[in-house]
Amino acid sequence: MSMAQATVSLGGLRKSYRVGESSVEALKGVSLAVAAGEMVALTGPSGSGKSTLLNLCGLIDTPDAGSRELCGKVLDGLDEIRLTQLRREKVGFIFQGFNLVPVMTAYDNVEYPLLLLGVALEERRRRVAEALHRVGLDALARRLPDALSGGQRQRVAIARALIKAPALVIADEPTANLDSATARQIVDLLHELARERSASVVVATHDERMSSHCDRVLHLIDGELQ
Amino acid sequence: MKWLIFAWKNVMRNRRRSLTAMLITAFGSAAVLASGGFALFTYESLEEMTARDTGHVVVAHARGFEGDEDVPLQHGLADATALAARFAALPGVRAVAPRVQFSGLISNGDKSAVFVGSGVVPEIDFRLRGPQMSFLAGQPPASKAPAPEVVIGNELARLMKAKVGTLLTLLATTTEGNLNAVDVIVSGIASVGVPEIDKRLVLADLASVQKLLLSDKVGTLSIYLKETADTELVAGRVRESQPGLTVKTWRDLAVFYQAVRALYNRIFGILGVIMICIVLFAMVNTLGMAVVERTREIGTLRAIGTLPGEIVRNFVFEGMAIGAAGAVAGMLLAGAATVALLFAGAEMPPPPGRSVGYPLLLSFSPTLYGAVTLMVIALAAGAAWLVSRRAANKPVTEALAHV
Repeated sequence: MSMAQATVSLGGLRKSYRVGESSVEALKGVSLAVAAGEMVALTGPSGSGKSTLLNLCGLIDTPDAGSRELCGKVLDGLDEIRLTQLRREKVGFIFQGFNLVPVMTAYDNVEYPLLLLGVALEERRRRVAEALHRVGLDALARRLPDALSGGQRQRVAIARALIKAPALVIADEPTANLDSATARQIVDLLHELARERSASVVVATHDERMSSHCDRVLHLIDGELQ
Repeated sequence: MKWLIFAWKNVMRNRRRSLTAMLITAFGSAAVLASGGFALFTYESLEEMTARDTGHVVVAHARGFEGDEDVPLQHGLADATALAARFAALPGVRAVAPRVQFSGLISNGDKSAVFVGSGVVPEIDFRLRGPQMSFLAGQPPASKAPAPEVVIGNELARLMKAKVGTLLTLLATTTEGNLNAVDVIVSGIASVGVPEIDKRLVLADLASVQKLLLSDKVGTLSIYLKETADTELVAGRVRESQPGLTVKTWRDLAVFYQAVRALYNRIFGILGVIMICIVLFAMVNTLGMAVVERTREIGTLRAIGTLPGEIVRNFVFEGMAIGAAGAVAGMLLAGAATVALLFAGAEMPPPPGRSVGYPLLLSFSPTLYGAVTLMVIALAAGAAWLVSRRAANKPVTEALAHV
């Protein structure tokens, strides 16, 4: 796949962390391209570099070396403000621990990315209602996260990640904190919604049900793609 | 609006902590408002007292305020009646009171004492003095009494064993440098609340004093205004119309007022700084804890695309909400104290050198209330900015990993 067609393209990414006196190389020249609408699973043991690669894909961390492109835009040398604006417009996040804002209702949590984008009130209302309907939470829109089950919270998180129709969705172990039945529903939902919106999804997972839904499964070991 | 609601929800997230910060802010603002109100009341009272004593604008001979006269009224005003009529015609002028300051000995036949007196026009002067002078017995001297009448201070009356109707003799140096004496009847015994003044106070009818001093001059013309705020305006007009005379305002002559004001400004200024520090500390503590607790959440919001400045703004809104709530509560507390003191009739003890206390009242000043409210909100916003900046600029991965 050429870099031009890809939603996200990573070339020769290297990233090291300092641990005490020594340096640990988390990624050793990883290259990856994810096409529009493609769902890629990252698997590997703990400490293999999955989270680091996910962070670099999601623009919340910067590599020591290598190049990155998102939707054809070269990211090298962009400052934090510009990277934040790109995340705001083009990247959705789903976290293992849901990471919903506890003082916001389900509705408010889903609405938040649209507020950042300055979407008008009426349009926001329409899109949030549609997103909540799509994840089956119409009736629970006014509930705070504390009043929702784990599966319902992850549905809210999925709606929040996808409401702005991002080009890329980063999901870090989205089913890890869920029981198997709920996890299956979440996997199906994420797969379905990402397809509908032609969003590329990079998901770090240990869950085979998750990886079995993906177009590609990449295995990371010691900072290298196998 | 959404952001403000969001901020308020975050404020209510830890109610006890926010309430503590609000209460500290409320008591801090109330303390500043109450002390400021007390200082203002004191300034207003002293302004009124000084203006009633000296007049708002005082006009004298070019050297009239120098205090270097060889004989009484050496630098007096010769054409006082015409000048007084001219000043009385100026807009905003309530009355013009001619005065002569004089001193000498007062005697009851058995013993004598030094007095410091004023020759006044009783009909004008005693009306304008108001509550500043209280009569303990008798009444003001009458201008057209068959024998000259005086009002003396209560301490001087005690010294002279004088009562209303007692005959005393005033002995003073005339404008020619000779001694002259006049018999006077005590028409009233009064107090200005300062024992040192009451020990020497003599107020006599102007014509009698002029007769004693063998002069038809007056020492000063005190111009009383309808509004104290017009003082500088009227003083300017008088200066323009009489460039050869010296014109002073009550403020120029109010040494005590200036000293008290300087002292109170310093005392209440320090109190204000202490309150600012307490409020700032409470805000930094409350919001600092909120920032630490919400670092992971900050990481999430940053990952979603919230700029560091927007994170800081949200915390600033939270700080402003706590500050505003605290300031409003503080205003209510101070307002309640102001009203309660109006009805309580509480008194302050006499200040040093005085024999009477003064009412403990607080002035209400919309400017003061507005300024304190804005200051508290600005402080809270500043504290929020201070504590949230670092967390908002933390690398997203670090913030997300925060436990």
